[in-house]
Amino acid sequence: MVMYPTRYHRPKSLEEALKLHAANEEASYLSGGHTLIPALKQRLAKPSDLIDLAVLPGLSGIKLDKNVLSIGATTTHAEVAASPVVRKAIPALAGMVGTIGDRHVRHRGTIGGSVANNDPAADYPSAVLGLGATVVTDRRSIAADDFFVALYETALEPGEIITRIDFPVPDRAGYAKFRSAASRYAVAAVFVAKFGSVVRAAVTGAGSGGVFRLRDLEQALVKDFGPAAVAHCKVDPGAMLEDLVGTSEYRANLVLVMARRALEHLGEAVSYK
Amino acid sequence: MQHITLTVNGNKVSRDVEDETLLVTFLREYLKLTGTHVGCDTTQCGCCVVHLDGKSVKSCTVLAAQAQGGEVTTIEGLAQKDGALHPMQEAFHLLHALQCGYCTPGMIMAAVNLVDTYPEPLTEEIVREQMEGNLCRCTGYHNIVKAILAVAAAKSADKKPALSGVG
Amino acid sequence: MLAEQMFKAVGKPVPRNEDQRLITGKGRFSDDFSLPGQVWAAMVRSPHPHARIVSIDKAEALKMPGVLAVYIGEDCRDDGLKPIPHSPVPSTKYDMKLRGPGDTEVFAGPNVLLPYDKARHVGEAVAMVVAETLEQAQSGAEQVAIEYEILPWVADSQEAAEPDAPLLWDELPNNVLVDTFFGDAAAADNAFASAAHVVTMKTHIGRVTGVPLEPRAALGHFDPATQRYTIYAGSGGAVRQKQELATTLGVDPQSIRVLSFDVGGNFGTRNRSFVEFGLVLWTSRKLGRPVKFRAERSEAFLTDYQGRDLVTEVSLAIDKDGRFLAMRASNLSNVGARCVSLSPLSKGSGLITGSYDIPVATLHARAVFSNTMPTQAYRSSGRPEVTFAIERLIDKAARELGFDRLELRRRNLVHPEQMPYTNGVGSIYDSGEYEKNMDRVLKLGDFAGFPARRAEAVSRGKLLGLGFANYVESSIGSPKERADLIVRKNLVEVVIGTQPAGQGHETSFAQVTADLLAVPFEQVRITLGDTDIVSAGGGTHSGRSMRHASTVIALGSVDLINKGKALMAHLEDVPLDAVTFEDGFFRVAASNRALSWYELALLAEQDGLPVELQGGLRVRRDNEMHTPVFPNGACLCEIEIDPETGSLDIKRYATVDDVGRCINPLIVHGQTHGGIAQGVGQALWEQCAIDPASGQPLMGSFMDYGMPRFDNMPSFKTEIVEVLSPTNPFGVKAGGEGGTTPAPAVIMSAIDDALAEYGNPPIEMPATPVKIWNAIQDYKKRQKAA
Repeated sequence: MVMYPTRYHRPKSLEEALKLHAANEEASYLSGGHTLIPALKQRLAKPSDLIDLAVLPGLSGIKLDKNVLSIGATTTHAEVAASPVVRKAIPALAGMVGTIGDRHVRHRGTIGGSVANNDPAADYPSAVLGLGATVVTDRRSIAADDFFVALYETALEPGEIITRIDFPVPDRAGYAKFRSAASRYAVAAVFVAKFGSVVRAAVTGAGSGGVFRLRDLEQALVKDFGPAAVAHCKVDPGAMLEDLVGTSEYRANLVLVMARRALEHLGEAVSYK
Repeated sequence: MQHITLTVNGNKVSRDVEDETLLVTFLREYLKLTGTHVGCDTTQCGCCVVHLDGKSVKSCTVLAAQAQGGEVTTIEGLAQKDGALHPMQEAFHLLHALQCGYCTPGMIMAAVNLVDTYPEPLTEEIVREQMEGNLCRCTGYHNIVKAILAVAAAKSADKKPALSGVG
Repeated sequence: MLAEQMFKAVGKPVPRNEDQRLITGKGRFSDDFSLPGQVWAAMVRSPHPHARIVSIDKAEALKMPGVLAVYIGEDCRDDGLKPIPHSPVPSTKYDMKLRGPGDTEVFAGPNVLLPYDKARHVGEAVAMVVAETLEQAQSGAEQVAIEYEILPWVADSQEAAEPDAPLLWDELPNNVLVDTFFGDAAAADNAFASAAHVVTMKTHIGRVTGVPLEPRAALGHFDPATQRYTIYAGSGGAVRQKQELATTLGVDPQSIRVLSFDVGGNFGTRNRSFVEFGLVLWTSRKLGRPVKFRAERSEAFLTDYQGRDLVTEVSLAIDKDGRFLAMRASNLSNVGARCVSLSPLSKGSGLITGSYDIPVATLHARAVFSNTMPTQAYRSSGRPEVTFAIERLIDKAARELGFDRLELRRRNLVHPEQMPYTNGVGSIYDSGEYEKNMDRVLKLGDFAGFPARRAEAVSRGKLLGLGFANYVESSIGSPKERADLIVRKNLVEVVIGTQPAGQGHETSFAQVTADLLAVPFEQVRITLGDTDIVSAGGGTHSGRSMRHASTVIALGSVDLINKGKALMAHLEDVPLDAVTFEDGFFRVAASNRALSWYELALLAEQDGLPVELQGGLRVRRDNEMHTPVFPNGACLCEIEIDPETGSLDIKRYATVDDVGRCINPLIVHGQTHGGIAQGVGQALWEQCAIDPASGQPLMGSFMDYGMPRFDNMPSFKTEIVEVLSPTNPFGVKAGGEGGTTPAPAVIMSAIDDALAEYGNPPIEMPATPVKIWNAIQDYKKRQKAA
């Protein structure tokens, strides 16, 4: 459908963007637009103002500083996937981002937009949580474990803008995703990462509360970091999403299969459908 | 209202449009460039793909205002200056990679961007993976894959594509 | 039959004439048209599957900025608008004769443009808002206040057929509108009673939708000066649309001009008029402004005419050697809230015995109303369903009775010597070499190499299954066609009443004409789609176009050549038999005098010609042809399954298709490719699912409705076979639907084969990964319990 009328703004600075948002109660931020604009075209929302963050200087870019990979919030998926810096530092992350949406979506969609939206089947939340990244905003830094609150809900305050995401560089990481035939979003996907004796495993697409850590698997992997550890894990179907694409038992099964395949393909991202 | 100025197919154009005007609406209804099509409402079908600043984008999911000052190439602007068809257009024609033609403009624009910018040599598997953002209901994709691979092969061999094929 | 040596263009893989405009963005699709002063329509649709319309309050909507008018069912009725004359019962000479219960006329359920009594399906349009901009029309539509009395509803066809189901139409005692029995019941009873084996299967071939990528759109305009209506709207037949719209509006058909130029896919969805088309014409007159409607994709999913939805129960009586003795079938077709077309039930009914010589067959054919979107013909209307039934039943018989599934088929195929062959329900197959098709596809698909490929898949922890299906399908279609052949200054124009949506008529018809008239292919132009020029024609559906067009063009060519000869004789003042036509030239025998078509056409414009030679070098030819043809073939595929996830991958797909004479193999292979994709889509991803608790359609967008895509379809091996049909001059059968016809059967056959070690679990289409995985888990649980 046609979007409701709105006002579009190109702020020249972060401060101006924040001011515009504060002045207009019903304003929405716009980045890549590939989540917001489809929703607006369905007339699911009626923002009075759209504040375009993608035009702001300084919010885009990829930097590796010692063991921290920083990705600016308005960096597109295509830029992340193709970046030699990301591919060297965290190849599973580059690989994962290369499977988001399709080529044309990746030319516009941004990390900030994806993370701020917290779609329960989006890829980025599993990497942010799986790597224990830090979400840096205009006013503070939020640890991944504190960031994803509930379905489509994050710890961001109204008006708060993500400026960059800092990923600690792991020893090893892997990502495996099983995609839905129609939407191409994850039915179940696992991002697993090892930092010395710390292991994190985050699951997207499957949880009824959104992205979550698979603690069972993390503990097993600390003892033995490899696909065999998955055999000792269980996933509770009761915590899984259920829809026409997959029953909760099916998703629970897929989580473990994807976890195992992520561990069998460390250093890359694999995608199934 | 937004005063939008873009370079479209090499020509500088300006129009005053509502803030929420989509790029595809700007092209179709304000510039009367009806070659770019709308096929869905969930940013999945790819009928609306154009090039914006050298990248393939779904023009139904970009506001004209977001594209402000940019360079847009649509299907109408793909042929060479002397009117000769782009090799991808030629390949689609000779290898029968279109039937009803509705998905074709977006398909060709997507294919051109893929061949021009993908960093590795294209294989059937890569083409099928990288073109997933475009739907076709008529061709079953078979001949489109052939056309894209023919153009890619010729590009890397730096000669004209070998274009004949039945079945 | 036409002489082979005349074919220079026919049979060649000529790239298409229509491509130039389509690859450069100069196509003319319905939404590409705009008229000055045009206004926009938005529809208000019922959110309920079944509800009485108690009241509609336009007041708030009319206050909205830009809103010009709000129209409801009472307004249509008060202006005397009639229901759309869908003529749903196929009634050509060879169509299976469907009848209502008790051998009555079929009650179709009238399709008024906007209902005033009740809404009978989710999405039924109950009001139309017209405003200056589309956004204003949509905002206005949100303000239309409708009070509904919610009624009990039924979506499932078997439930709807029960005597106590919620009733959609008070004109009938229950929802069953068709109840007909075909065949010899007594003979079938005897055969079944004495047979060594009986195998039975019940299955539901579910509801899908065509998804042409161009959403439907219409721009209507009334000119008070000429008192004529004009509509730009893609369809499956401009002439038919014109008649339907004229009846709906209650005007002379000549006062309507339908313009249907480039059509972005049809597949059957556009064969019948949509309510919005009549509404934009009617309202454009009332408002004095052109009115434009274009469907959102979500509207297309909800309210395009949908396809399939057949519950079928089939049984085969087999003797001890595997010979088929008799077949029984009971088919229940879900037509939706009203009957728009019975083509699927009818076409399928004639083909229940498939490619096999089954001497006795009976069919109980029923159709039922339900609170769902109406269905109509969709790619190979009715044939994929019945092909699925017979082919899967044979697979089941082979497995249960210990026969090889290919051998069992061979033993029972109709043989070429039996052609023309009358099957157990009266269809007369014209020609075909079914066993040769089997042999060819087994070679094309490297059947011999399957065991090695399976072993390799198993070594990677995967399952690999091989699927096989024969098929025979039918092309009947509207029996009448008209061609105008006009020799112009330097080209030949053919005006014809078919309506392509990608089938390449501008090319293939030009090939036919070029060879018939001995002119270069480049000099032939095909004119379609403007009813001010195209006066008559049957449209495009059911694979009818090439057969009817080539025949009427062939007949017209003879007329044109005869007129040319007569003209030449008159101009040269020689007897008629002194004039010959050879290689594109009219010659006077025993002289050097020779005129080309164009030279003769110029001379034909002169004054003073006798009456019968006036009017230029042109003819109009009508033809009526009822005899159906039966394209046929065989199909093989391999599917790899990942038992851990249920994921499927089509590794190989080969098909052999007898299309009769193939005019343009480039085009025909393309049709096969696209047809395969649609059939595979039904088997693996597509479904118009409805929530059993609420009656709400669940698949409203590409986010939910899975589609064939680049990365889930394989490349194909397709082979064309030409067993000429004796029923028309070119020997054409049809090539547009054979790709789809065996596809659901062959895919499910492969999945069944892959899952053989898991007990051949019955899996309903679409065979999604979760269903595969569940079936495997169920088997494992049963084994554990045992």
